[in-house]
Amino acid sequence: MALMALGFVFQSLFLWERGQLHNRCPITSGGEILIFISWSIVIMYFFLGRAFRLSLLGVFSAPMVFLFQSIALLLFWRNDPVPRPPAEVDRWLEMHASTSLFAYGAFALAAVAGVMYLFLDRQLKRRNHGQLFYNLPPIRYLVEALVRLIIIGLILTTAGIVSAFFMKQHPTEIHLALSGAVWLVYALVLAIHIFKRLRPRTLSICAIFSFLLALLTLSAV
Amino acid sequence: MSIFCIGVNHKTAPVEIRERLAFVEEKIPDDLHRICQIDTVVEAVVLSTCNRVEVYGASDSPPLALNDLNDFLIHHFKIESEQVEFYKFQSEAAAHHLFEVASGLDSMVLGETEIFGQVKKAYAAALNSGATSRRMNKLFQQSFSIGKLVRSNTRIQQGATSVGAAAVDLAEKIFGQLQGCQVMLVGAGDMSRSTAQSLLSRGASEMIVTNRSYHKALELAEDLGGRAVHFDDWEEALHEADIIISSTSAPGIVIDAAMIREAMRKRRGHSLFLIDIAVPRDIADQVGDVDNAYLYNIDQLQILADEGLSCRERQIAICRKVIHDHIEKRGIQALAPPREQPRPKDPPEESSTSSGDDALGPFVPSPGNANQDP
Repeated sequence: MALMALGFVFQSLFLWERGQLHNRCPITSGGEILIFISWSIVIMYFFLGRAFRLSLLGVFSAPMVFLFQSIALLLFWRNDPVPRPPAEVDRWLEMHASTSLFAYGAFALAAVAGVMYLFLDRQLKRRNHGQLFYNLPPIRYLVEALVRLIIIGLILTTAGIVSAFFMKQHPTEIHLALSGAVWLVYALVLAIHIFKRLRPRTLSICAIFSFLLALLTLSAV
Repeated sequence: MSIFCIGVNHKTAPVEIRERLAFVEEKIPDDLHRICQIDTVVEAVVLSTCNRVEVYGASDSPPLALNDLNDFLIHHFKIESEQVEFYKFQSEAAAHHLFEVASGLDSMVLGETEIFGQVKKAYAAALNSGATSRRMNKLFQQSFSIGKLVRSNTRIQQGATSVGAAAVDLAEKIFGQLQGCQVMLVGAGDMSRSTAQSLLSRGASEMIVTNRSYHKALELAEDLGGRAVHFDDWEEALHEADIIISSTSAPGIVIDAAMIREAMRKRRGHSLFLIDIAVPRDIADQVGDVDNAYLYNIDQLQILADEGLSCRERQIAICRKVIHDHIEKRGIQALAPPREQPRPKDPPEESSTSSGDDALGPFVPSPGNANQDP
């Protein structure tokens, strides 16, 4: 927890410094986007991990944050583009980009909750309880948190898509199509779960693969 | 002035002796009063639980106090001296013993937490009776700190140590809090009754009981505050249960995978925990393969309980090191010489009594004492 908080302080300082440099929300390159997503994962963890009574969420999300930041570091090392502060800041663009990336944070944590569910389910089924077993949250809480995180992510993605229509420079069709695809996939998973009650195992696998798909679309955007 | 402890526990005396030596809770203040009237005893705390009867105290001459208390206990409980042999500790050994007791290391169920509350209650009773002063206050306050330290820095509480506790732990790992969970008992045996009672004590809300003999089911349902279901109808109620405990004496399988698949379809994604404590088994092995259904039989629960116990036993050395390190760092506060009180320039007309003063005998309650209630 203390380490996560320390990391969060450094992430925030980095993003603040980059924001000053660009004179806008610091999501102008792949590296910055990955740092921003990592930052939003940590924020979500701080705000929701305790509320959803999910111990060890931090332990399971830390490797993902570490991976994203390592890739970001590599990207910065290879090519750190020269800052090009815009002549005029488009608030709708800022809103679109930041809410969409926060949505990725929520979807990332949903995927982490899915991994935790699969891990705990396997230990319960095999009746082989390791040290982590005793510290993991109950199965029911994991499933409830997973659904709530998908709902939060969907609300943020919807806000991001709606704000895109008010941007001065309209996004490209491919950008909108990919954002819409991510929204659609998660909306479908949620709708099926609500109306047909997906089995928790299927829901967890859907959360993990949907997030991988979302990451792929992010790289394409 | 030093401290001492005299008593018996589950290791040194059988239950027949312990029950004769048990102090009656309501009479403990009077008993403390009598103990403190013994010339050699200055302070006293009585700890009387199912598994131990102990008197802690402070005295100018602990060996004499221990002999006097030995006689007092034998007379008080009208027991033959040959029938009981009290263990007696003085000074550091007495403090060490209390620290281990408060940490759950001396308990019948290793690492159990109930003893911590019982020690607190015993101290509070003595404090309220005015039977404690500086030595006992310091000793018990330090035992609470050490008890907390041991529990938060070791895994002495981890894992279940009995079949019932293992079942409850698993239920909580699946459902979290058990409030609102429905439990179905298939068969009305003693084992299922005790497991159901453990689940009820942790918040499970409703019991559905079924048995070949409806009369027995009704009886058990009444005892547990649940409802009985005829054995011909229990399958229809299967999907309502979150936890199923099966303990029939049927020679073959009572619950198969097809029944559970059908129940899971109706449960719309909610988990199901099945506990099979029957021999021969009531629940088919294949039930464990059904998605979101978790099946444990009596042997598997026993293995978990054994693992929990051996895990706790492995923690004993670590716990003792935590206690040792704490004492190395802080010392045994009850044995430290009292601090010199700064002499006031203008002493008040009536000299104030401080709870930190050795001169303060028992039965002189002061605000300073009362504030130290943990």
